[in-house]
Amino acid sequence: MISELIGLLITSVLLNNAILNQFLGLCPFMGVSRKKSSALGMGMAVVFVIVAAGLVTYGLYYLVLVPLHLEYMDLVTFILVIASLVQLTEMFLKKSSPALYKSLGVYLPLITTNCVVLNVCLVNISNGYDFAHMLVYTIGTPLGFALVLYIFSCIRERLDTADVPASFVGNPVALIVAGLMAMAFSGLAGII
Amino acid sequence: MVQAILMMLVLGAILGAGLGIAAKVFHVEPDTRVDYISTQLPGYNCGGCGYPGCTGFAEAMVSGDADSWKCKPCKADQKAKIIDYLKNTPGPDGKTITIKG
Repeated sequence: MISELIGLLITSVLLNNAILNQFLGLCPFMGVSRKKSSALGMGMAVVFVIVAAGLVTYGLYYLVLVPLHLEYMDLVTFILVIASLVQLTEMFLKKSSPALYKSLGVYLPLITTNCVVLNVCLVNISNGYDFAHMLVYTIGTPLGFALVLYIFSCIRERLDTADVPASFVGNPVALIVAGLMAMAFSGLAGII
Repeated sequence: MVQAILMMLVLGAILGAGLGIAAKVFHVEPDTRVDYISTQLPGYNCGGCGYPGCTGFAEAMVSGDADSWKCKPCKADQKAKIIDYLKNTPGPDGKTITIKG
């Protein structure tokens, strides 16, 4: 049981990484990776939203939707919960950390449509996870997202001073770097 | 069907009430200049200025992070209008902002 959970954690963080293996959440991945501090803030905001949304939607599904035979309403209710949680995160950040709120800009409300969040909520249900597996998967996936986002922002800060061909400056070279990172991460597939 | 509608109503009411309380708890006085400038910028959110979206650039100008004009798609008259607005409108701290064109 324990080794299975550890395996699931490693899988969700590294092997089946949300960004580099499932290609989810690419919008904030390209958008807020210019500065390390914004990347860390974004990573933390996503971890909070996903863990909270995962717990709430899991409870909502098995305690409300299943007893009422409303399983087909899962997508609508999950989006409602996610949107509310993102609003809450936004208000909290605006009050507690205006600098971080500023550096995240439009990408903070866009967590609502970050497909990693909805993906985690739906996979928790469709894979039939029990509570322990759900918790591990819900924490592991955003951690993998935050990790890759942070590594990518470190590389991009170096790219700013690197001698890049003129036509590749900015986003094009960042996309190439993202592809190389995905290749490197696919090499981890054999460790489990 | 009726159950589904009722469930959505109850869920919406609960979440709405929660957000309403949170809005009261986390209320901050906004700087109106940021909102005004972001409506005057082109609104493409292209990121060409290096800030996250047009609101990001508006906030960077108001907070003093950006002291020169970085918005490429903006039309010249609109640009002059924004720079002029920042020069003539004092913020909550009573200071105005000068942006190099």
